[in-house]
Amino acid sequence: MTKKMEKMMEIKDLHAKIGEKEILKGINLDLFKGKVHAIMGPNGAGKSTLSKAIVGHPDVEITEGKIIYKGKDITHMEPEERALEGIFMAFQHPVEIPGVNNAYFLRTALNAKRKHLGLPPLNAAEFLRLLKEKIKELGMREEMIHRSLNEGFSGGEKKLNEILQMEILEPDFVILDEIDSGLDIDALKKVSEAINKMRTDDRTFMIITHYRKILDYIQPDYVHVLKDGKVLKTGGIEIVDALEKEGYKIFGEE
Amino acid sequence: MKVLDIRLEEYEEKKAIVQKLRSMGLPTPKTEHYRYFGIRPIFDKDYELVLPSAKQIEEADHIEIVDGVVTKAPKEIYVEFLKKSSIDDSHYDQVYYINHLLVPYIIHIELESDTQLKIVQKFTKNGAFVPYRIKLSIAPNTHIRLYEEFLSLAEESLYFYGYDVDIAKDGSLKVIQNRVTNIENFAQIGSHSIKCDENARFELYTFDFGEAKTLHNYHVTLGQYAQCDANHVIFGKQSCRLGNTFHIENRGKESKVSQLSRNILKDKARGIFDGLLIVKNPAKYSSIYQDSKTILLNDGAFMVSKPQMEIYTEFITEATHGSTTGHLDEEALFYLRQRGIAKEDAKEMLVLSFLNEIFEKLGDEEIKKEFIELYEEQR
Repeated sequence: MTKKMEKMMEIKDLHAKIGEKEILKGINLDLFKGKVHAIMGPNGAGKSTLSKAIVGHPDVEITEGKIIYKGKDITHMEPEERALEGIFMAFQHPVEIPGVNNAYFLRTALNAKRKHLGLPPLNAAEFLRLLKEKIKELGMREEMIHRSLNEGFSGGEKKLNEILQMEILEPDFVILDEIDSGLDIDALKKVSEAINKMRTDDRTFMIITHYRKILDYIQPDYVHVLKDGKVLKTGGIEIVDALEKEGYKIFGEE
Repeated sequence: MKVLDIRLEEYEEKKAIVQKLRSMGLPTPKTEHYRYFGIRPIFDKDYELVLPSAKQIEEADHIEIVDGVVTKAPKEIYVEFLKKSSIDDSHYDQVYYINHLLVPYIIHIELESDTQLKIVQKFTKNGAFVPYRIKLSIAPNTHIRLYEEFLSLAEESLYFYGYDVDIAKDGSLKVIQNRVTNIENFAQIGSHSIKCDENARFELYTFDFGEAKTLHNYHVTLGQYAQCDANHVIFGKQSCRLGNTFHIENRGKESKVSQLSRNILKDKARGIFDGLLIVKNPAKYSSIYQDSKTILLNDGAFMVSKPQMEIYTEFITEATHGSTTGHLDEEALFYLRQRGIAKEDAKEMLVLSFLNEIFEKLGDEEIKKEFIELYEEQR
């Protein structure tokens, strides 16, 4: 008997705008527990807006539809509440925050989550042990602990720092927004390996990408093609093969 | 009495000050350094003039000044009361002279060996106009760290006070002022004169919090190789007006000035940073640096930021100034919230990161901790 797939998130007829421009025009999407969903689509299709709508970015105004996560309507929840419920986004362009120490920031975030889960906070020594262990696993330089958040980091270091945060916070739903952009092949491999290690039956990944390469390293279970604010096609990796050969025009893109 | 009701002819024994005031005129709402402070409602109020009178000083581990009267002091600190004292004859602030005119004596603290000193100033008289002055004399090659704390309890009052500081050759003074003034109708004008002799150093960290109306006017003169490193943090709320104005004169060669101002304003708060750096002709190869940054937490808040320089020599090593005013970085705020950090905590994190440069320079974790606690109380 095959196990029934459990929905982690349901996006129902989602309409959203940024400023006066409607970007999402009725997205319907089911994202399953333990699965990797790749989101592809031409520029302006609404991929980033969709990820922003899921995490509650204030630029995005949801005008219609719902986002159901673990059975709960999160459409109008505050961003930090969604994060505490286990939604994590690895940013395409992580912001630099001078003066906010990387370790201090991450301990604050972890202890906020532990508080939400009814767990006691980690003290500085306990946290530092955990952080050093993760940093070593990721092959990052230890001095990053003491630096300001993302300040002066190279593109690769910024992406690795996003992965480090993901590993520490152990979210249930991970959005990787063009995590492959600006990475050389070695950095891409390192990031992909770390993501693959995080794959479990209870965790869902949504990978937004323009390129096939990352999907060679992180095999998606589903591929969804977005166009003009709607899901145009859902299938398996064969969609990526078709896109590679023909481009988006096979799905009606001019 | 009203502040400007003073009759100069009654102070003929202080001839030099009277003459100075006659030539400068009394301050008006249009006087440059008071332009944005709004002196009229403060000066138009009727106060009871309360002049300090010397009393028995109790022994303590710090100096306490209550309404201009020294009540406590450590026994090893020499405190005296001067009827007469030399004054700065080129101060830009009329209040400096009015204050000197009114005070019956000047509190004089003489420091001849390296000392860490704490001064607690309390303001307790309601409806009062309280003028007093403090003179600090720092001997050559003597290094002083002064931590000062304000406790404001007075309602509808105006306090004039100020320091006259002489830092002799090779000496230094590091002042950290924790100026919390939470009573909305409390007003204070501090008018200070700091003279740095050859190779002397004046380091200043001011932290202004609250809802009151306070302005500090500093006239600083630097001899050759002398340095002034002035750093200011303002966290203003409600309809406060908190500010610092400066005239810093590089009078000697290779003297240095660095000024950082970091301001966070919410509600209808007004912050003032008006700093004029003047490099005189003999001050060749001097360096001057000014940087003022402000975060407005909402639209009603207002910052007056006027970094200015006047340079009268062709030979200058560095002259840099800048000023920015804006809101909290929304993308940074969102980034922190996306990691589960509550909005108010995320804001606090960003505010503290904004002030980090000053804390790093100060290099005192205790003061930083105190500031964070105050910020949390006040936010």
